[in-house]
Amino acid sequence: MAGTKAPTKAPTKEPTQVETSPDLPIPAQPAPRPKDAPRTMRQLRESRESRSKRPSRARPAENVLREGLRLERVPDPAILALFGATGDLCQRKVIPALYHLWRTNLLPHEFVLLAVGRRDYDDDSFRAEVKKSLEEFSRVLPLDEAAWRSFKERIRYQRCDFEDPTGFDKLATTLDDLDEKEGTRGNRLFYLATQPSLFAEIVGQLGRVGLDHERHDGGWRRVVIEKPFGYDLDSAKKLNREVGKVFREAQVYRIDHYLGKETVRNLLVFRFGNGIFEPLWNRRYVDHVQVTVAESIGIEGRGQFYEETGAVRDVIQNHLLQLVSLVAMEPPATFEADALRDEKVKVLRAIGTHPADPLDDVVRGQYGRGWVGGEQVPGYREEPEVDRESETETFVAARLLIDDWRWSGVPFYVRTGKRLPKRSTEIAIQFREVPHHLFRETSAEPGANLLAIRIQPDEGIMLRFGAKVPGLGLDVRSVTMDFTYGSAFSVDSPDAYETLILDALQGDASLFTRADEVEEAWSLVDPFIDAWANGPAPDFPNYDAGTWGPEAADELIAREGRRWRRI
Amino acid sequence: MATDVVALNEPVLRWSARARNIPDVEKELSRIWAKQDFTTEIDGEPGRHVAARTNVMNLVVVARRPEIAERGAATIQALTGLHPSRTIVVQSADPDGPSWLDARIEAHCVLPREDAPETCAETIHLICGGEAGRHLQALVTPLIIHDLPVIVWWPGEPPFTSQATKDLFTAADRLVIDGSTWNGDGMTRLAEMATCADTTGISVSDFAMIRQSRWREAIASIFDDPDFLPFLRSVRRISVTYGTHDEAGAPGSTNLVKPVYHVAWLASRLGMHVVKPLTVASHTSAAHPKSKGGGGNRQPMARGMTATLSHGSTEVAVVIRPVLSELPSGTTLRVELLCDRRGSELRADVTAEAESVHVRVWLDGVEALERHFLAARRGDVDLLAEAIEASRHDRVSDGTLKMASKLVGEGSNGARA
Repeated sequence: MAGTKAPTKAPTKEPTQVETSPDLPIPAQPAPRPKDAPRTMRQLRESRESRSKRPSRARPAENVLREGLRLERVPDPAILALFGATGDLCQRKVIPALYHLWRTNLLPHEFVLLAVGRRDYDDDSFRAEVKKSLEEFSRVLPLDEAAWRSFKERIRYQRCDFEDPTGFDKLATTLDDLDEKEGTRGNRLFYLATQPSLFAEIVGQLGRVGLDHERHDGGWRRVVIEKPFGYDLDSAKKLNREVGKVFREAQVYRIDHYLGKETVRNLLVFRFGNGIFEPLWNRRYVDHVQVTVAESIGIEGRGQFYEETGAVRDVIQNHLLQLVSLVAMEPPATFEADALRDEKVKVLRAIGTHPADPLDDVVRGQYGRGWVGGEQVPGYREEPEVDRESETETFVAARLLIDDWRWSGVPFYVRTGKRLPKRSTEIAIQFREVPHHLFRETSAEPGANLLAIRIQPDEGIMLRFGAKVPGLGLDVRSVTMDFTYGSAFSVDSPDAYETLILDALQGDASLFTRADEVEEAWSLVDPFIDAWANGPAPDFPNYDAGTWGPEAADELIAREGRRWRRI
Repeated sequence: MATDVVALNEPVLRWSARARNIPDVEKELSRIWAKQDFTTEIDGEPGRHVAARTNVMNLVVVARRPEIAERGAATIQALTGLHPSRTIVVQSADPDGPSWLDARIEAHCVLPREDAPETCAETIHLICGGEAGRHLQALVTPLIIHDLPVIVWWPGEPPFTSQATKDLFTAADRLVIDGSTWNGDGMTRLAEMATCADTTGISVSDFAMIRQSRWREAIASIFDDPDFLPFLRSVRRISVTYGTHDEAGAPGSTNLVKPVYHVAWLASRLGMHVVKPLTVASHTSAAHPKSKGGGGNRQPMARGMTATLSHGSTEVAVVIRPVLSELPSGTTLRVELLCDRRGSELRADVTAEAESVHVRVWLDGVEALERHFLAARRGDVDLLAEAIEASRHDRVSDGTLKMASKLVGEGSNGARA
């Protein structure tokens, strides 16, 4: 072609000596390189050019046909072995979630729910129990009879005493038979919804009979473990060790159902899918953050469980710290499970570098008799199965500091409790006051801006800002801009369990907690429990049912000139 | 103003008024919301709940016949809770008479939950006589809520080449149509639509394409298997079988939009190019399938259409062939893929029934996979919901439509013999 030259080959002669002017300082010697390494820009470009003509190493292949489809992938054919299937959690949450997934065609056609429990049922009698539960707890009623008929055909029941090794031998045989008959191809999700004390035993038995082994021909094995994961740091570490002896971390899905809630997932979209909030999401603009997980109910007949648990283990260690992590975390590089969980763990570690003083920054309480929603309710110590001298906390408020670049000096006030005036879970970002009060003379100075993210009920987001009251004067009043999921979409959000079970079947661990995350969370709350155990007996009960907790909780926040949001 | 008690999730008419011109329609719209009294408590204080009236889009329905307008309005009302929108139903009448306008303005409300405020949205029914009905953009523009997306749902056959249609589409974001209802084989209109979308910048959601999502899920699932995934780049043949009511399966007798979309989706996702657009396959006397009943005097079933695609340096054969079926004409009955990689052959066969899709795969003649996917056929409400949920730039849909247009042969007139 005219005006162009055929590319010439790069000189191959080795430069023998660097020529320098006697007036100039001798340059530093270049770093030693391999003999054939390109030295000049031209050599570098030509080397790259020739390299790009060679077929590059194949990137991990992707299924391009998946783009734009409803699911990233349809779950593989699988058996879900549900341990503790006759228990309350399974009947209220797990099985209704599976029914809804089946009803909406989100489960594979080749699917079996193998219910494993201690009680004496057969397939038919267990199915009858399931139907009763669905008629009570399904979020869409009446039941879709056609969907139920096909779903019940997928249910099997196997009696198994979890401490009896022969039961697991039989289970292994049953699973193999089901694979053969139902085409489930060796894919198994073991869902542990039993008493926490049985987790390690069950996992050990699964390992003993080889049910953890992923097969070369594609059968995967995963285990879902319900909360609570341990009752303190040591027990969580021990349980992680026991589970780790059998399953790889990538096979373990520790469930915290809060992470499956639509509004919690929307928190990530809200923060990282919008450009206008993230620049304000830091110590320069945020005065403080309040996270409330309030329940109006008591312990609902679970006295024995709650006596051993308390508010710290039941809510703070898991749900509440998860919410704090999601609010405070840095944007992950990708939306993949480990990228997301890495950022959450960093937040927990940043709290750990400046831990809350159990005596100064944490308030505990226990409810006494009172009125909730127009009904008189008993005090905690009057509940069945509860020690009359119980020291178990039913309320906790704490002030946490996240010692990192973004949040240094911004307190996160968290509180949770039972028998509070209403059920409400909310994250409130309280912004700083304006630097100069221009409207000081007006009748009502607008408050600082507030962004409230309501997790439940009435899921939505509210932004409070000041506006001029119409009229000749200059009255300013706070108004709210309110987004409610119910009004904007009016569509039934899937239950958190539906989201999480589907994710586990698809192998997506983004919304499950990792071993290090669980341990970091325990390391934050263990000192509270230790300090209480080492201190004097508390003066319980210290708040009436139907109030917002003990006065000390108000003092905790008031000493820095702030107050809890009226919810 | 009616004050009915609203049943959960049931749209209830809460306002109705009439107007004779566009400014009066605007006045009525203002009056509806000035008179509504939705209050709730904010921090314990009574306050106005601004979320009561919710609009997330403008939805313009162009209905050429009253029954289509009624059916469209009913479908949209069923979506009030899910996608509250300002809906403008435009219907023309007496096109050769003098210009006139009759407008009915309605507000429907839905109570999503007992403890939530009602969600309300407006519907404006415009019946336009004479020339007024031909200037769609002039009618619609003053009534749309600014800053919200404008979606045009046009049941039937839009005149894609008319300037009035292009003007309306230029002012809109998305067109919702159903290509499977078009007359003839639908190929010419498909090409016109692609050209119109290209020139006006409007995105297209076609019910015919959305209905196929259960097929796409099933086909994609084959290649979720890492053993089969490499074959995705080695497709050698795509074959789609569709149902026809025409005993001869004559070219032009059956709407081919759905079968063409199947091929176009695969070709666009896999980065193929059209070498030879669809043409009527020539008869070879030897082995063509006989028509149902096998009567000796009957015309043999046509062999459908063929095309050639390229995938890198490899040619990919495309066959779209008819078989007699009692299912709606143009319904896809089977999609087959043949892939050939390093001497190994993968054959996939996908069929669908009312409630499920069935996938079978053979590797070197040995059955390697069989799966059922439960997925029912969907009605208009679900289809419309999915169509309007699509993002502004739906790469899959846009790519499929462009590829379909190339397959058909842009500018062709349907007689592709």
